[in-house]
Amino acid sequence: MTQLIDVPDPVGHATPDAPRRRVSLPGGIDRVFRGVLRGAGFTVLGLMATVGVFLLIRGLDAFSVAGFSFFTTQTWQPDSRNFGIAAVLVGTLLIASVALVVAFPLALGMALFISEYAPRWLKRFLTSAIDLMAAVPSVVYGLFGSTLLQWRGTDIPRWLSIQFGWIPFLSVPQADPDNPLSPETVYATSTFWAGLVVGFMIMPFICSVMRESFTQAPQGEREGAYALGSTRWGMIRSVVLPFGRSGMIGGTMLGLGRALGETIAVALIISPIFVIQPHILGAGANSVSALIAQQWGAASPFGLGALMAAGLALFMLTLVVNFAASAVIARSRSGQGSDA
Amino acid sequence: MTPQARPRGRAAALLTVLVTLGVVLIGFAPTASAQGYVPISGAGSTWSFNAIDQWRKNVQQFGIRVNFAATGSTDGRNQFKNNQVDFAVSEIPYGLTDAGVKDYPPPAGSYSYMPIVAGGTSLMYNINIGGKRVTNLRLSGETVTKIFTRNITMWNDPQIAADNPSLKLPARQIIPVVRSDGSGSSAQFTAYMANRYGGIWDDFCHKAGRAQTPCGFTSNFPSYQGIIAQNGSIGVSNYVRQAQSEGSITYVEYSYAKNAGFPVAKLLNQAGFYVSPTAQAVAVALLKAQINPTDLTQDLTQVYSDGDDRTYPMSSYSYMILPTVVTGKFDEQKGRTLSDFAYYFLCEGQQSADRLGFSPLPINLVQAGLEQVAKIPGSTKKPTDIGKCNNPTFSNNGTNTLAVTAPHPTACDKKGGPTQCDVSGKPAASGGGTSGTGGTSSGGSSGGAGTNTGGTTPGTGGAAGASGGGGDTTSGDGTAADGGTTGDGGSDGSVSAVPVSVSLPQDDGTLLIVVAVVLMVMVVAGPPLVARFMRRKS
Repeated sequence: MTQLIDVPDPVGHATPDAPRRRVSLPGGIDRVFRGVLRGAGFTVLGLMATVGVFLLIRGLDAFSVAGFSFFTTQTWQPDSRNFGIAAVLVGTLLIASVALVVAFPLALGMALFISEYAPRWLKRFLTSAIDLMAAVPSVVYGLFGSTLLQWRGTDIPRWLSIQFGWIPFLSVPQADPDNPLSPETVYATSTFWAGLVVGFMIMPFICSVMRESFTQAPQGEREGAYALGSTRWGMIRSVVLPFGRSGMIGGTMLGLGRALGETIAVALIISPIFVIQPHILGAGANSVSALIAQQWGAASPFGLGALMAAGLALFMLTLVVNFAASAVIARSRSGQGSDA
Repeated sequence: MTPQARPRGRAAALLTVLVTLGVVLIGFAPTASAQGYVPISGAGSTWSFNAIDQWRKNVQQFGIRVNFAATGSTDGRNQFKNNQVDFAVSEIPYGLTDAGVKDYPPPAGSYSYMPIVAGGTSLMYNINIGGKRVTNLRLSGETVTKIFTRNITMWNDPQIAADNPSLKLPARQIIPVVRSDGSGSSAQFTAYMANRYGGIWDDFCHKAGRAQTPCGFTSNFPSYQGIIAQNGSIGVSNYVRQAQSEGSITYVEYSYAKNAGFPVAKLLNQAGFYVSPTAQAVAVALLKAQINPTDLTQDLTQVYSDGDDRTYPMSSYSYMILPTVVTGKFDEQKGRTLSDFAYYFLCEGQQSADRLGFSPLPINLVQAGLEQVAKIPGSTKKPTDIGKCNNPTFSNNGTNTLAVTAPHPTACDKKGGPTQCDVSGKPAASGGGTSGTGGTSSGGSSGGAGTNTGGTTPGTGGAAGASGGGGDTTSGDGTAADGGTTGDGGSDGSVSAVPVSVSLPQDDGTLLIVVAVVLMVMVVAGPPLVARFMRRKS
């Protein structure tokens, strides 16, 4: 083995104080370890690039046929060469927004309760319960939403739409609450139900990331806050929340990424439509991943290409969201301004 | 417990659990591979899933393991083409052009079609009059086409009323429910509409963004404002069966409506009679199916226009697509298993078709099917005495017994009559709502039901119930508009509360949901509880 290490003088005082030459790695096992780590890193990059290139190649045909109208057309009839992702992409974003609106406060409250308020025994129990919630397969959530929740809970969207119908996106134009014969199905299979269930699904992920970052808030500062006469809520506001800000943002973005890509639960709940549906409480919704899941089995070769193009658009959107998130996190470091 | 003893005790407990599990698993494992069977897998039709699933369970006792994924006919054909499954089940063959795209078949000679079961694509609906479910709805093909193309959007449309002289349907919106995945049911249904009412269908197609003329059949029902799309036959039937989905109608194989405990509409045939999709009506209709002698595929054009008064027009066969050569994934052992499965359902399996909501195959198709089975590589080529199959269609003189003995429809099922049949097949008591006879007893009870369900106007409900008891239609009619369908049932003796087509328990879905919830709670809450328990113990 050729080792180019500058062996220091065994006595240790022959060389005077001076910047020492950098010692190269001792080789062997370290080199292997570094190689493995590097390999893992590049494999992940390579995998992602492969997915992107695969989608691009398969979708190129569809892109070239549709041109720019791919982003402005709402219908999805690829075999009639009349298709675009305007409706499904907007639908995806709407479902993800509803999911975040549901999941963020729930996760924040849960994480704060677990890390700050809950007694020890409850803390352990809740932590494992939340972790297990993340392990429930999404098809179970989908069935729960499609066969139980959206039918038993019709009153929720009805109440929302009647009381808050003056907010444009909460109105349901097809509904006629004064007519008892009007169908109640206008409140089912909607963006709201899909988003709600997806929100339940991403809540555990957001919650665990938040809880982890909250528990790492330095003990010294907590006690400092108490010493200055702060209440518990005051302490949380002035120490825990600022310290855990990056965890909150990171967890939320992780959840958003999952919400954008959630497939089977959405596919089970929604009734797919191909117009932009801004009324989130009304029947009919769509998302890119649900579209792919429902149509790929039955798609013609060109239709499959169109689905790949839609998948590429979603892939890009998720990438942008994730890069934006990491930029936000990089700008607000955990414990910024604290001396812990 | 001493620290040393604890791990040992835990290991012993773990071992016990493992052994118990092992015993249970072995005990429940079918006595497989005694005959050299290997598991086979298929995918496709949800239309015929209920029959295949029953047969699949029945052959488990012989050690035959069949996995079938009901993912829709189109997906089944694609998976078979890509060698992902051993067999596919589809309502339509390869090589058809759907929305301008030809579905290219696998290499010629590598597959063949085998008819497996017949059935009627039926119209399952959920509509009440006076809090009572309507069970004797009648529709003509044109009405159906207009409903599913959104030309008729209300249940009290004059055209529906013309089909149903004895029903006073409320001013509810019609919610057509279609399949969102590529499906053979959609293909059969749209083929019927495109063939019989091409003009209406083409207009709809163009409004929905399709370019072809004529539009023709399609496996993917076009998405359109006001039409709800759901995934799979079970998805659409689940949607329609919800109490909140009143006013909805969908197309599914009859067995799904039967399992859900919901009625299906009688469809008008060429002879002017409204007919239910019973096994007999389907058998009569399919006498007119043109079977291509080389590949056994069906041409249903003459079924739609069959002049027999017992015909259910939307009848069709479902096909299994079999491999006839050994490919990478499909070997002779699988062929052996598949052939024995096929021998079972072509013979004994057909007996249960009627009970499941399908119609058994006639003798000529069973014979043709047996010939196809012999082509499977590794087929056991079991000599089958079809006389012993107890297939209800078989006779000694080559005719289809089921079709020969099919009853003719009663006069009240004829188009244009003053009344229509109630569920027992007798003319409905009140003709056109003018006479109040027979409305007395049912009026009181339905008035009470109206009070419960209507909710908004309890006083009106009671009043309407009383007036319904008197047999006065006009007052019932007046309250129906805003009083929650109260008086109508009372005035109308034709509405019966007991659907005759129900033979299976209605609450199986609820039970499944309860089981699923319990399982979910156990999965979520069980492990932490156990962990806490064990931790406290130590």
